[in-house]
Amino acid sequence: MRADAVEITDLLWDVAADGVRRPVRRSAVVDRLRATGQHGAARIVARMPATDDVLDPDAVDALGVRVHCELTRLVEELQFPRRVAATLAPVLDRLRAAGPGPVRVVDLGCGLGYVVRSLARSGLLGPDVELVGVDLNPVLVAEAERLRRDEDLACRFVHGDALAPGVAVERPGRTVVVSSGVLHHLSTEELTALVRAQAGLGVAGWAHWDIAPCLWSTLGAWVFHRARMREPVSRHDGVLSARRAHPAPVLLAAARDGAPGYRHAVLEGPRWHPRAIDVVRPLVGTRP
Amino acid sequence: MTVLVVAGALLALGLLDGALAGFRSSLGRTGAVDHRARDRVAARRGLGLMAALLLPVAVLAAGHALAPGDWPAAAYVRAGTGLLAVYLPYAAVVLAALAAYVVLGWRWGYLASALILGPFTLVRPLVATAGVLLGAVRAGDAVVVAGCLLALAAVLAVEPLSGRLWWDTRRQGVRPTASAAQRQ
Repeated sequence: MRADAVEITDLLWDVAADGVRRPVRRSAVVDRLRATGQHGAARIVARMPATDDVLDPDAVDALGVRVHCELTRLVEELQFPRRVAATLAPVLDRLRAAGPGPVRVVDLGCGLGYVVRSLARSGLLGPDVELVGVDLNPVLVAEAERLRRDEDLACRFVHGDALAPGVAVERPGRTVVVSSGVLHHLSTEELTALVRAQAGLGVAGWAHWDIAPCLWSTLGAWVFHRARMREPVSRHDGVLSARRAHPAPVLLAAARDGAPGYRHAVLEGPRWHPRAIDVVRPLVGTRP
Repeated sequence: MTVLVVAGALLALGLLDGALAGFRSSLGRTGAVDHRARDRVAARRGLGLMAALLLPVAVLAAGHALAPGDWPAAAYVRAGTGLLAVYLPYAAVVLAALAAYVVLGWRWGYLASALILGPFTLVRPLVATAGVLLGAVRAGDAVVVAGCLLALAAVLAVEPLSGRLWWDTRRQGVRPTASAAQRQ
């Protein structure tokens, strides 16, 4: 498998800049995966339902929801909501001390919004924190909103680009952006662009969790995706996520390049003594 | 150790495993934050399903006992203690990890899951097979070995069967809420 290997779910949706969804040709996806030596992934896609070589959009959407439902199980076991609460606590305290009014936490690429909904349910961040989940995939956002309604939770979900003006960030100085499992989908250039966009808005800070790449996290990803996931797509993409995750120096270089005025850190243990708890760890940025 | 004690211990372990398998088979299906009520239903169903799947083992043993000739109680005890030698330590570690997951703080809960519960779920089929192999080797009786194999089949089938019977959203025809509405 080559370094430019991609996750299957990166190829199943094609949305134009105006938001209109375009048909995805199954043969094109299969060819793309074969080109990077991902023959197992190509076989998975070749079995997906299609009409005249166009992947069945309903089947793709249903698959996307199933994969993200499985992911919520992993997010729960990895204790993501607790991790977010523990990391954000000092940032939120600082913002509260700086002045009155609500603080907003925006979950970028929220998927089914499990972290946001879990934080809303537990109240771990406090009653003065507004929780907003944003995702580019309208199907996932609609499902997140349905789940929020079902569980009567105080949070909301928005379809769109979390960092576009007017989508989710209204008072940047009192907004913290978080994400989980998003960074490894981005190239180093896109990482820099993400950080630059946050700094451009002037948000108070961010904390983006992703897998710490090492032998143990790859092994752990394989074990957990074999043990916990049922969808072949989940199993493939989950292990690849660990393999393509960015090491801390890459994250820090992109952060310093994108937002030189912020303080940055990757909160993980030393490489010579990796800690099991740090299998996922955040890239944190705070405005001085 | 008597046949009844061994059989009782194995039955208890089997039903516990069925409850946990049922619980696992329902997880990751809905995306809901609060799934405790669903977990309880899933565990009960898994337990019941395991009881049903183990019924052929009980029928086989009963038939064996009622058949003419001497009933090889010692062979059952040898096989059963072989199974328990493998399953009891496995179950003890899993239960300790589950207790840690539930009782201790989130960091310990995460470690219990990452280091024990996940990997132990992965090797469960191998552990089940190893126990049956040891039991079969020790039994020295074809009918007892057949009973061991039926029990192994039950253990391997309970989780996927529970998922297929009650929790598989593909079979229930569930579609994403926004699929049609959001596509233009």
